[in-house]
Amino acid sequence: MRHRLLLPALASALLLASSLAGGPVRAADAGPPGASSCTGCHAAKRIPDSVIPRIAGRKASDIVQFMREYRSGAWPSSVMGRIAKGFDDQQIDAIAAWFAAQPE
Amino acid sequence: MATRRTFLKLTAAASLAAPSIASAQASGRVVVVGGGFGGATAARTLKVLEPKLTVTLVEPNPVFTACPFSNNVLAALREISQQQFGYDGVQKTGVVLAQTAATAVDASGKTVTLTDGSKLPYDRLVLSPGIDINWGALPGYDEAAAEKMPHAWKAGAQTVLLRQQLQAMDDGGLVVISSPANPFRCPPGPYERASLIAYWLKIWKPKSKLLILDSKDAFSKQRLFQNAWAQLYPGLIEWVSLSQGGKVTAVDPATLTVVTDFARHKAAVANIIPPQKAGTIAQKAGVADRTGWCPVEPVAFESTLQPGIHVVGDSAIMGGMPKSAFAANAQAKVCAGAIVELLAGRKPVDPILINTCYSLVAPDYGISVAGVYRPDKGVLADIPGAGGTSPLEVVGGFRGQEALFASSWFKTITTEVFG
Repeated sequence: MRHRLLLPALASALLLASSLAGGPVRAADAGPPGASSCTGCHAAKRIPDSVIPRIAGRKASDIVQFMREYRSGAWPSSVMGRIAKGFDDQQIDAIAAWFAAQPE
Repeated sequence: MATRRTFLKLTAAASLAAPSIASAQASGRVVVVGGGFGGATAARTLKVLEPKLTVTLVEPNPVFTACPFSNNVLAALREISQQQFGYDGVQKTGVVLAQTAATAVDASGKTVTLTDGSKLPYDRLVLSPGIDINWGALPGYDEAAAEKMPHAWKAGAQTVLLRQQLQAMDDGGLVVISSPANPFRCPPGPYERASLIAYWLKIWKPKSKLLILDSKDAFSKQRLFQNAWAQLYPGLIEWVSLSQGGKVTAVDPATLTVVTDFARHKAAVANIIPPQKAGTIAQKAGVADRTGWCPVEPVAFESTLQPGIHVVGDSAIMGGMPKSAFAANAQAKVCAGAIVELLAGRKPVDPILINTCYSLVAPDYGISVAGVYRPDKGVLADIPGAGGTSPLEVVGGFRGQEALFASSWFKTITTEVFG
């Protein structure tokens, strides 16, 4: 199975997303509905020998595209198609923006 | 056990936090009981989301032994030490570890009593005690019987005992697994266990047989398991459903006999996975109902029986979500976020949660079930159209890929929770 998400994210996108996500001083943000479940597989830290791609700090548009293609079945997957079907476009956009704003 | 030093440390931590409850920012004291996937996640997530909180994790064991992948230990594919995780990583996030047991909860006075009699005050309490064995629910099965017929449903010494029994068994012996009625911890677990024991028997004790006596007529990922058994272990595993007389009604540990309404099976090794209930502290806190499990509302997982007490993980009734490590971790993160909101006087938003459970049928053969959940009519309900199991028909390396995802998931989640 191939993972286009393994493409490196653009540092500028990360910085932009971080500044947009600013606001009241909080140590961390729990994220939009659904986001916190993702980190059970998609680690915040680097995990040696993991075949599951990290999504923290990836471009939001890449994450959105992947989730939509998983959902439609256009991009083959094992578990992600079944998970993506639980989210609408707006929810996917919010989750993607949140992950894009996390440290890569 | 609590030393005087830990007690003083706890008291100091609690008194520092006491005056700040009324502030607009979330602050206050949260006590978390139980240092498994649910509790350890809740504790460190609370601290990460709101460093001003005083978060105390009450857990008597210095080391946590994880159940996921413990079936691999039975099949000599892993060692028990690879299942074990300490709490240094949790403490580094600023969580105060109280290495002692919670013996009582005063829900109206908002205190948790510890083994040494000291009381820990809280503004919000999270209980994540996991399961306890419902001793007495299966005639003949008590704590002494579990030393002869291990449950191995709490990973650790029981897992090692069952592995030793399998290794000491003569080739040609009968291994019996008794699987309980719903609900119970890890719904696919008994069948993954049967699979990996069969994998090991086929190599080392090929004349042996494995019999699953079930108190159910259907089980998680059933067709995937049964297809794989026919392919990988033909004639080795026999599954007896409830309607075929599979319900175990009694056991005799002296003779390793497993009794159903229709037969008495003399086992060489008997693995009795018994009926379960929420961990004892949940009963003591008054958050468990007559079923033995804990009803909660579906947004912050606050008990519907005792306000101010949240319950996550295997001990809670979570609607459509199964009792899994993934689910406990997901629930704990949502619960922690909601508690931060509640302590700041804000209303938590409706969450969405995911569960994914991998099972290994062989070391390189993985299958999965997933679900997506949201609050609906007061319970966590499956989002229609989402979730489901791996396909029955696959091409190429699909099963091998899922086996790799399984081990990657375990590394990831244990790093997130304990790393």
